[in-house]
Amino acid sequence: MRGMNIYNARRRSNTVSVVLYYSAAIFGIAWLVLILFALLREGFGSLSLAVFTQSTPPPGSAGGLLNAIVGSLIMTGLGVLIGAPIGLLAGTYLAEYGRGTPLASIVRFINDILLSAPSIVIGLFIYEIMVAPMGHFSGIAGAVALAVIVVPVVVRTTEDMLTLVPGALREAGSALGMPRALVINRIAYRAAKAGLITGMLLAVARISGETAPLLFTALNNQFFQANLNEPMPSLPVVIFQFALSPYKDWQKLAWAGALLITLAVLALSIMARVLGSRKATQ
Amino acid sequence: MTYASSIKPDLRTKISVKNLQFFYGENLALKNVNMDLYTNKVTALIGPSGCGKSTLLRVLNRMYSLYPRQRAEGEILLDGENILDSKLDVNLLRARVGMVFQKPTPFPMSIYENIAFGIRLYEKLPKSEIDGRVETALKGAAIWGEVKDKLNASGLSLSGGQQQRLCIARTVAIQPEVILFDEPCSALDPISTAKVEELIDELKNNYTIAIVTHNMQQAARVSEYTAFMYLGELVEFGDTSHIFTSPDQPQTQNYITGRFG
Repeated sequence: MRGMNIYNARRRSNTVSVVLYYSAAIFGIAWLVLILFALLREGFGSLSLAVFTQSTPPPGSAGGLLNAIVGSLIMTGLGVLIGAPIGLLAGTYLAEYGRGTPLASIVRFINDILLSAPSIVIGLFIYEIMVAPMGHFSGIAGAVALAVIVVPVVVRTTEDMLTLVPGALREAGSALGMPRALVINRIAYRAAKAGLITGMLLAVARISGETAPLLFTALNNQFFQANLNEPMPSLPVVIFQFALSPYKDWQKLAWAGALLITLAVLALSIMARVLGSRKATQ
Repeated sequence: MTYASSIKPDLRTKISVKNLQFFYGENLALKNVNMDLYTNKVTALIGPSGCGKSTLLRVLNRMYSLYPRQRAEGEILLDGENILDSKLDVNLLRARVGMVFQKPTPFPMSIYENIAFGIRLYEKLPKSEIDGRVETALKGAAIWGEVKDKLNASGLSLSGGQQQRLCIARTVAIQPEVILFDEPCSALDPISTAKVEELIDELKNNYTIAIVTHNMQQAARVSEYTAFMYLGELVEFGDTSHIFTSPDQPQTQNYITGRFG
């Protein structure tokens, strides 16, 4: 029967498709699980109190990651502090004032390019405009490089989140006689608050693992350094250096550092998720 | 266009619309509209979807000027002053001509703040006085009893009908002269609708009111004057009782008897 043939052919192609989907999914997830498994095993095996209390050691002696952890916190924090306000304002321009204007389209297009720009290019750029003129690597240059990565992430989420705020709410504000800026500051931001914070958390997660831009800007430092004008250590750069070294102690510290970054990013992602779902149920 | 003959001489005109044309980009949405809103009266704007009644309402507080491609020509006199004048401060105008929207739009803040926020835009008052004004506004919108024990709860936690009365309270709190209602009950259940209608009936003692509605019974219940609009034109304006019992225009007759629209 001809009808049955078509039906059976469809069943076969359906089975083939389903098998392909599942195997692709399993193939992708398997690597992730393997990486996480190796990271957790090696990372927790290398974790000790010394990791948090001592600075990076010379080869062959005991030490920790204190200087790298502090450096990462300083540069990440400063990067967000510089980048997030710029991103917030630019995103607000795109969603509120610039809606439908040619300038907004151009800014949005450039922002999308910046969003996917290789971070090593950003590192080189900051090297050219800050490190070379200053004559030395510095923590502040590292923070600025991270800020450049933060800006497009925050611009994008800010625009998206403000666009989701109903126009009726803005009109209601205007109907009370509020000027435009006040409607944005007091109503639109408040309505989009959870989403805006989520965007910033994601930006922090994004930069906390960046290595390339820091290699060109903050470089590294074997000692504890809180002076922004000096080369500053960071977890990703220390991991990069230590993991490639032939020394067992250093390799163990690299695993511990990798675990710390992963856990931090995990925590940020969970916070972003929780905030996001709270918004959805509002 | 005809005016019903029964307009009483003791009426005071609050808003006078003269030769109003309105454009969405190139599209002419209101064609030479002329009508008056009377002080302390409720005027209903009725007509089928797309007839321009909401557009007319949004001209009265210059809401349209938020959007770059919308413009109005003609004159709208509020106590004799042309509000379409480009030099006019629209924010001050909107403080005098308040608006309540189709969907309740409480701000994402506490019930108390929803009201106090608007008051603080115009007046610097001590907390005790703001408290008093918030209470008066909530009482004026017949919602005080339901919210007085939870003023710090989010405005979004209220039911739809309560949210709409909160929005009315917010509008009343800044003491406007005119209140525009844009289908205020279309998202509400019948009980909430009845409450809002009662409220409108009380509010007219202090305010001049215009209400756009799709519900003809509602127009008949709450308004003293009715304007019937069709395809951007004001077809007929007059006493509500006149419009609903013996309209002059056959189109009005057809609409109110449900033959179209």
